[in-house]
Amino acid sequence: RLAYCPNLRARWLSRLSVKCPSTGRMSVGFIGAGQLAHALVRGFTAAGVIATHRITASSPDTDLPTVQGLRKLGVNFTTSNKETVDKSDVLFLAVKPHIIPFVLDEIGPNIEDRHLIVSCAAGVTISSIEKKLRQYRTAPKVMRCMTNTPVVVREGATVYATGTHAEVEDGKLLEQLMASVGYCTEVEEDLIDAVTGLSGSGPAYAFTAVDALADGGVKMGLPRRLAVRLGAQALLGAARMLLDSEQHPGQLKDNVCSPGGATIHALHVMESGGFRSLLINAVEASCVRTRELQFLADQEKISPAAIKKTTLDKVLQQPGVTAEGVGVKPRGIIA
Amino acid sequence: MDPEMDSQLKIGFIGAGNMAFGIAKGILTGNVLPVNVKVSAPSSRNLGRFQELGIPITHSNIEVVCGSDVVFVAVKPHLVSLVLNEISQHVTDRHIIVSVAAGVTLSTLEELLPENSVAIRLMPNLPCLVQEGALLFARGSHAKQEDGALLRSLLHRCGLVEEGPESWIDIHTGLSGSGVAFVYLFAEALAEGAVKMGMPSALAHSIASQTVLGAGRLLRDSGKHPAQLRSEVCTPGGTTIYGLHTLEQGGVRASTMSAVESATERARELGRKSSKNQLV
Repeated sequence: RLAYCPNLRARWLSRLSVKCPSTGRMSVGFIGAGQLAHALVRGFTAAGVIATHRITASSPDTDLPTVQGLRKLGVNFTTSNKETVDKSDVLFLAVKPHIIPFVLDEIGPNIEDRHLIVSCAAGVTISSIEKKLRQYRTAPKVMRCMTNTPVVVREGATVYATGTHAEVEDGKLLEQLMASVGYCTEVEEDLIDAVTGLSGSGPAYAFTAVDALADGGVKMGLPRRLAVRLGAQALLGAARMLLDSEQHPGQLKDNVCSPGGATIHALHVMESGGFRSLLINAVEASCVRTRELQFLADQEKISPAAIKKTTLDKVLQQPGVTAEGVGVKPRGIIA
Repeated sequence: MDPEMDSQLKIGFIGAGNMAFGIAKGILTGNVLPVNVKVSAPSSRNLGRFQELGIPITHSNIEVVCGSDVVFVAVKPHLVSLVLNEISQHVTDRHIIVSVAAGVTLSTLEELLPENSVAIRLMPNLPCLVQEGALLFARGSHAKQEDGALLRSLLHRCGLVEEGPESWIDIHTGLSGSGVAFVYLFAEALAEGAVKMGMPSALAHSIASQTVLGAGRLLRDSGKHPAQLRSEVCTPGGTTIYGLHTLEQGGVRASTMSAVESATERARELGRKSSKNQLV
């Protein structure tokens, strides 16, 4: 309940940071400075759960537009992943799934006992990360989370799973951080792919829906801006009603449909188009693809085309990083 | 309703078909005595089962009207005007005439009956036969609330009894008159699915019918929204959600909505046609 109501949540959080100064004193690092890192930093900053000078982000690629954004927020930006590790207690791995193995090999030697590694990479298992890190440390503390982009407006949906060596307190710490930017709960790792399909990809489904609803509005005569605004507000309002209600969404739908009215006519059209089954199919497709990607990653089959040459070059330029160390044959396999 | 009054009430049936029989059975489980019921039909073919219940029979519609307070007109729609013309002179303002004829409007009934007659239009459905009917009635211009209440108390043992404006009767026909057939179609398909998967047909059919019955009772008695009940059956990643997904992909919801719509439209059309015929 607390997580849904912004005012209550803010008060709960401020009481929490008095009781648990842990979030206040800890440092957070992001390996990767793309959309996810940027969104999380914006959310944490808005929530006031951590000061920006305690946040470090790194990426070999400084051309990313999000790098600018992170710098502007007051985050310590560096091209050295090792530097991020040294400056952080909680370390978010916010890179694309196929980059994870490179990153782990690169930072492995720098991991200390205090570090909590939180991977946000879709389809990358805790066991695959622990396996890599155990080459460098006997008991690496690893957690896996799946979040989504609305963390940027503090309405994220996050789940996390706890690794072999992570303690209950580590889970609570992560939960504190992620609850400041939306809903957060712990799950068994085997559910994370389904979560990816539903709420990971979910915002994309919603954007598509609003875009199309707006088209409908425009077709019927509304100016575009107004149509988009109203479409988004309708979805936002409906979601808020549902979250605040004990009732089944089917019941809430019924409450909107007056007999013989406009809405029930529209719903019939939607049913005729297989609206429901489309959404079920979409969640399934996203979940299945996530599993496929995980399977590919476990095989450590990374297609050369999947790795941007420039990124890999930059990684290889870091002091102490060798081609063999990050698992590629020098030059040969890169397209 | 006053049980003493009930037991004094005289009920008549013109027509001895399934609807009349179902309603009669229901009425008798209340306080009405068989001897206070009378049924008429031109031939003796259908009268046997009424006699078994202790109900007096006759071939005279006029006899039924004169001896009854409430008269159910339960003949086929095309016979209604014939019957009403025959009995009209014997209808007084103490009678309540209840028509169960599909598509025959209150205005038609009132035109065929003497001025100020109390007419009620009732749409039952087949499961009245087993006292699990869904019945909707609409009161005519001179039928008062008490007349509706009387009918309701008579019929409540036939199943669910509700009142509504006449415009809802066609919808009720589509939903629960024809709806019964839609359920039979679904039950048949369920059984065939099971047969396809290897179950013997007779067993599959008997289980399918019990499944429909059981689900129906749970739905009615739990008071929960069907969507809620559906969610409760679906364990994550289980068999039910897989099956439901397939149903959704088949557009079952939309075609069911369309089925009710088609049946309702047809009921309205028939109603218009029969009104025109009466005026000719």
